[in-house]
Amino acid sequence: MRFWPITREALRLILIRRWFLALLVAAWLPFLVQVIRIYIVTRFPEANRVLPVDGRLFGELLAWQAFFTMFITIFGGAGLVANDLRTGAILVYLSRPLTRRDYVVGKLGVLLALNLSATLAPGLALYAVALALAPDLFWKWDLAWIGPAVVVQSLAISLVMGLVALAVSSLSRSARVAGLGFFGLLIGLEVARGILYALYRRPETALLSLQADLRSLGVTLFGLTDRSVSIPWAYAAAMLTAVGLGCLLILRSRVRAVEIVQ
Amino acid sequence: MVEAPLVEFKDLVVSYGPVQALAGVSGAFLPGPTGLLGPNGAGKTTLLKTLLGFLDPDQGAIAAFGLDPTKQALDVRRRIGYMPEVDCHLPGMTAAAFVAFAGELSGLPRDEAISRSHEVLYYVGLGEARYRTVDTYSTGMKQRVKLAQALVHDPDLLLLDEPTNGLDPAGRDEMLALVRDISERRQMSLILCSHLLRDVEQVCENVIVFNQGRVAASGRIAELTGPRRAVYDVRVKGDPAAFLTDLKDHGCEWREGEDGYRVLMSDGFGPELIFRTAREAGVQVRFLRPGAETLEDVFLRALGHEGEA
Repeated sequence: MRFWPITREALRLILIRRWFLALLVAAWLPFLVQVIRIYIVTRFPEANRVLPVDGRLFGELLAWQAFFTMFITIFGGAGLVANDLRTGAILVYLSRPLTRRDYVVGKLGVLLALNLSATLAPGLALYAVALALAPDLFWKWDLAWIGPAVVVQSLAISLVMGLVALAVSSLSRSARVAGLGFFGLLIGLEVARGILYALYRRPETALLSLQADLRSLGVTLFGLTDRSVSIPWAYAAAMLTAVGLGCLLILRSRVRAVEIVQ
Repeated sequence: MVEAPLVEFKDLVVSYGPVQALAGVSGAFLPGPTGLLGPNGAGKTTLLKTLLGFLDPDQGAIAAFGLDPTKQALDVRRRIGYMPEVDCHLPGMTAAAFVAFAGELSGLPRDEAISRSHEVLYYVGLGEARYRTVDTYSTGMKQRVKLAQALVHDPDLLLLDEPTNGLDPAGRDEMLALVRDISERRQMSLILCSHLLRDVEQVCENVIVFNQGRVAASGRIAELTGPRRAVYDVRVKGDPAAFLTDLKDHGCEWREGEDGYRVLMSDGFGPELIFRTAREAGVQVRFLRPGAETLEDVFLRALGHEGEA
């Protein structure tokens, strides 16, 4: 647990910003919308035809949450390594009895905590609400996969966003540049995927975009319908794993370089 | 009684790719304050980074407290307080929180780290300002915070990398007084890495001079600067070229001072040689004052010999 003080202090510094807290609260709006949806269906069962209440509800929620995690990651994570490089604080960490792994895990812990609070927490809370409000719809053995699926998708979103943000952050000494870089990377790849899909109508283009890969996992986990990203889940998982490993390599190289260069 | 060294390095070779930063250096840091001198690129910082376990030597060995930093880096770092040359702080954090955080990273329990943080900040003279964010501090205050974060876990060895960087003369004197106090009253061993000879002279008992990745000189400052050779500050009127050449021919060394020349006499010669050489070279000696060989002389002599070698 040597990484814990790093995570705790960084979280404290981020959460003292009120506008960031407002962003975290705003990230729960889709949860409220889905709660209202469940409530409406329980009061007016015929609404189930227009607003189906089943596993897809959670997939839709997490698709929205992935959108929020992008902003949470930009504002909470862009400066995590970049600021340490700019202010020289990296040496405060590395000259202590800490390994580079402790440092990366400590920083990643910040983004995991923030992003899971916007994915896993509302996902599980919605499941609890669904069980409470509509037990006849959700207390079924064949819907027991929803909980684990929420956990897997939330972890995938949070981990990928966190690793990519940290890697981008380590490539700059400016939080602003790192934030723009992260945003540009995500949006740029998604735009490129959209153009290629429009041209060729092939779902494999999803491999190009991180968000599409995550959506592809969601399609498999929650039974969503999205033909543009309907590739085998293993492909998307392999791509996301490769991206994650690439980010770890960048972090390893950048943190080591700072030790030597400075 | 000979004290056991805190840090020993033998035939140490460290390279950055094709560039050899340390070319087979050997030496030791004894308990007490030791200066690490040398021009930029001499290998001082490389030695510190190897000591902290950041760099693996290509050849040779280094040991701190009997531990091998390449294999037991965390154990070594636990016993070292490092004050880096560059600015280091966490944006938005108060000095009290920052120093406590540094203590926690060094392994102190949170409560103890907080209590030590206040204590150390008072010690370095930032007691009143400890609840201000470090971003708002002056250069001198930032230097003191860096010192505080290095001291917070009460290390066995303090590594100070250019602690007076960016300070005005008064601030420099205050920082050096603080460093001296740490060494004398707190009995903490320290390595003062500096390019400023005066800083090292004021604080340290021992010195290691680095040049081009090698140890150019090392030992007790008092012995290195002892009255082994006569030194004179000389000012002459007339063209000094022939005068200086003749002095060199007699085995003397000289360098330009602020207002004239500092002449290190060759063994067995006194001021009469200066007067005789001046007469023969056709210049007037307008000023002559005996001086003691300073660390700067030793430093320059060591670098000169290295250069000749």
